[in-house]
Amino acid sequence: MHFTTMILSSSLLTVFLILTLPILGTLNPNPTKSQWAKENVKTAVKTAFFVSLIPLFIFINEGLEVIMTNWEWMNTLMFNINISLKFDLYSVVFTPVALYVTWSILEFASWYMHNDPNMNRFFKYLLIFLIAMIILVTANNMFQLFIGWEGVGIMSFLLIGWWSGRADANTAALQAVAYNRVGDIGLILAMAWMAVNLNSWEMQQLFSLTASHDLTLPLLGLVLAATGKSAQFGLHPWLPSAMEGPTPVSALLHSSTMVVAGIFLLVRLSPMMENNPLVLSICLCLGALTTVFTATCALTQNDIKKIIAFSTSSQLGLMMVTIGLNQPYLAFLHICTHAFFKAMLFLCSGSIIHSLNDEQDIGKMGGLHQLLPLTSSCLTIGSLALTGTPFLAGFFSKDAIIEALSTSYLNAWALVLTLLATSFTAIYSLRVVFFVSMGHPRFNSLSPINENNPSVMNPLKRLAWGSILAGLLITTNITPMKPLVMTMPLTLKLAALTVTITGLLTALELASLTSQQFKTKPLPTTHHFSNMLGYFPSVIHRLIPKANLVLGQLVANQTIDQTWLEKTGPKMMTSINLPLISSTSNLQQGVIKTYFLMFFFTMILAILTLV
Amino acid sequence: MLMVLAPTMMLLPMIWLCSSAHLWTSALAHSMAIALISLSWLCLPMEAGWSSLNTFVATDPLSTPLLVLTCWLLPLMILASQNHMAKEPINRQRTYISLLVSLQIFLVLAFGATEMIMFYIMFEATLIPTLIIITRWGNQTERLNAGIYFLFYTLAGSLPLLVALLLLQNSTGSLSFLTTQFFPPLQLHTEASKFWWAGCLLAFLVKMPLYGAHLWLPKAHVEAPIAGSMVLAAVLLKLGGYGMMRIIIILDPLTKQLSYPFIILALWGVVMTGSICLRQTDLKSLIAYSSVSHMGLVAAGILIQTPWGLTGALILMIAHGLTSSALFCLANTNYERTHSRTMLLARGLQMILPLLATWWFLFTLANLALPPLPNLMGELMIITSLFNWSNWTLLLTGAGTLITASYSLHMFLTTQRGPVTSPVVAIEPTHTREHLLMVLHLLPLLLLVLKPTLIWGWTL
Repeated sequence: MHFTTMILSSSLLTVFLILTLPILGTLNPNPTKSQWAKENVKTAVKTAFFVSLIPLFIFINEGLEVIMTNWEWMNTLMFNINISLKFDLYSVVFTPVALYVTWSILEFASWYMHNDPNMNRFFKYLLIFLIAMIILVTANNMFQLFIGWEGVGIMSFLLIGWWSGRADANTAALQAVAYNRVGDIGLILAMAWMAVNLNSWEMQQLFSLTASHDLTLPLLGLVLAATGKSAQFGLHPWLPSAMEGPTPVSALLHSSTMVVAGIFLLVRLSPMMENNPLVLSICLCLGALTTVFTATCALTQNDIKKIIAFSTSSQLGLMMVTIGLNQPYLAFLHICTHAFFKAMLFLCSGSIIHSLNDEQDIGKMGGLHQLLPLTSSCLTIGSLALTGTPFLAGFFSKDAIIEALSTSYLNAWALVLTLLATSFTAIYSLRVVFFVSMGHPRFNSLSPINENNPSVMNPLKRLAWGSILAGLLITTNITPMKPLVMTMPLTLKLAALTVTITGLLTALELASLTSQQFKTKPLPTTHHFSNMLGYFPSVIHRLIPKANLVLGQLVANQTIDQTWLEKTGPKMMTSINLPLISSTSNLQQGVIKTYFLMFFFTMILAILTLV
Repeated sequence: MLMVLAPTMMLLPMIWLCSSAHLWTSALAHSMAIALISLSWLCLPMEAGWSSLNTFVATDPLSTPLLVLTCWLLPLMILASQNHMAKEPINRQRTYISLLVSLQIFLVLAFGATEMIMFYIMFEATLIPTLIIITRWGNQTERLNAGIYFLFYTLAGSLPLLVALLLLQNSTGSLSFLTTQFFPPLQLHTEASKFWWAGCLLAFLVKMPLYGAHLWLPKAHVEAPIAGSMVLAAVLLKLGGYGMMRIIIILDPLTKQLSYPFIILALWGVVMTGSICLRQTDLKSLIAYSSVSHMGLVAAGILIQTPWGLTGALILMIAHGLTSSALFCLANTNYERTHSRTMLLARGLQMILPLLATWWFLFTLANLALPPLPNLMGELMIITSLFNWSNWTLLLTGAGTLITASYSLHMFLTTQRGPVTSPVVAIEPTHTREHLLMVLHLLPLLLLVLKPTLIWGWTL
């Protein structure tokens, strides 16, 4: 085996090993020490990050990609499932990013959750979650990918429902799994189709065999899967609800790892999609709709975590748009840059929430720039990176996406919606910064404000550096797989910036209007639409479960099982036999004289006729 | 085969002769030893078809997993019943264990039988101990009704089977499983042959149970004591699937069209019984209905008759056997503490019995088919083979997986999460015995992940 290949694959396997060791350690029956989380889990992730840099450097230096098949897991007639790992551009770049972000989040969580009696278990869940995500990213066949896919889903159930005494947390956890299961139907559909028509789940074989098939049906399944996991329009409500979990969970699951799994699936399987214009346009329109809808919802939220959650959803929509443009590399780039600043925004909100005694309403914050200088600076950096301010992380991916969109000839409607969403990004980002760090404090005067803890400052600083530099580092070091359009009119080149600045100015104007009363009363219709999340949950969450529950109770259980099946089966046996039984038993009245008399007369009659 | 059968029969004298102090331990040790011996069947060469052949019994790749499951379950049943039998007089305890042992003898003979009539007799013979277990050791008066339903549904289904088998004997001259595939093609053109087809399958479909003939199952499960529920869910239902796989080979030309309504009914049952589970208030009834739902998938997989369908059905049968049996055990641990099966009365148990909550969670995951557990492999293979038959079945199977996930997690959330309800504040802690019971259910499931080919049946 070639030397560098060996180093690359063995160091990635080492990453798996390092991450698994702390979990195996907890099988020890003795209770874990209270410092276990910080000492073992955080160190493991940190070490794994540094180890995972080796393959990254090798990849940057030599462009080396490896596929390794370790073990033939099961095979039946002509159908093999192997344990096979794929270390290519996507997994080699994503793994260090995920580990870096998780490292920061874990360190932050050791401060945020220090009062929790089960902190060790919490860290263990986070670690298992991370491992599932890395399994998903490195999988080279669909079955392995499915393991990671379901693994992150189930771990998100546990993590969202962490505060399990609360009904809201449990509902949100169940909601997340239910919406993800709808997506899983799509993935199962795609897998079944592949097994039937291509007779393989291995990625390379899929890519080479699909040329002669009409792929619309399985691709629609994959889009459905991505819609569920990445909270695209229609299956989006679970993502904001998932904010019921602790903030580190939101940071890890719902910003940088789990929700991008859907997009990652499409990126991974993009060679299958690129020749199918129907599915690409569906992705494009779905993404555009998601990005503008969720950005609209973000405009009027007052819960700081909900705003960030909706902005995540909006960015996921943007990634979906990129998939629809047939630019999977750009979508992947946005996944990577987005991970840094979104995780940082969540950690900032966690720090603020903790400092203000679990206050999440941005209406009750304000003036934090004086009181939490580091946190609010990071919040500002994150918001700027999110809006695509030039040369921060978000700029390199977001600007490229919008350029690719505006220079393509695909769909003006999607372009308009995406640009609208981009300007909304500036508005809600400004709103967060405006309400949280500017102005005067509007919270209780006895809040335990304190960010002077290395476990808060170090992760924030690390992620802030990431938010500033990641885009530059990735774009300068890694060659895109497709040529990008480099020449375009100045107006198109500046389109993203222009709409963002327009949005920002509008928002500033609106903010200045808040203190002046021009109308006697506000016009609430648009506000209600946005604040009620487009009335989507109130309609869908009522109708569909109710229909199903009515089906279960009234139709399936009461009408069919307890009435008709009983009536036509066992009860009918009784009712048919009952007349026979009762007439037979009615005949036997115990009147023995009459019976003998009858017997006697019959006998006489018989004898007489015989004689 | 005798290596397992002879010790199993010797369990009976042991139960009646050993001292009362050692009754449970020695029965457990002995039956566990038998279970370990039975594992050696998995090492037999599978490619050759039949092995450990003698005049009446043999094993093949199809029956081996089910035989091993049967043997594995007896020690688990003994372990699970120990607590609630402790208050009974010693002779009744002996009777109870003897019934469980006799059930194992019948089941081993049924799965091992190489001849259809012997299979039929053993199939029917299992009814007797099960009936006694349900009607004698059940907890409420409704157990008598449940026993009647159990007996009459099964008997009404299996009498036609006897007639059909006799007819088959008449036309082919042999009922041996060993020669099934060498039978000359049957002349099945008349209308009556369609009834014969139905007669051959009906007994097994009722036993599975197919949606529509499933009423006996929830009743029997709810009323039976824990060992009864376990063996019913884990092994007795699988008799139906096993019999169907055996006999469907000879029904070949007819099955192609005649099975359509049954496939649709089974799939429709997956959705309907799943929806019923969403509204159940009774823990055991919920698990029982979930069994009906899973077995519907198995029935569809068998009736579709592709290699993937049959393999998936066998995998799902084994995985579901372990999972549902474990869920019944968990329900029983709750029942022994709260004396109620109503879910709403025992909530928030995670706070009180944390390790038990872990077991609940793991088996909930197994029930909703989390990869890479064998449950998922089975479901995925069945769904794929159904998809191959008709793309539209995915609507039903997909809805089925969604509903399964919903009710499984609903069950988990209701019993384990949320605030603690007042009746459960002062309950006794868990025993090592109960944890051991759970581990012994989980271990095979996890080990099968590593080598699923053991339970793949014929398609090796």
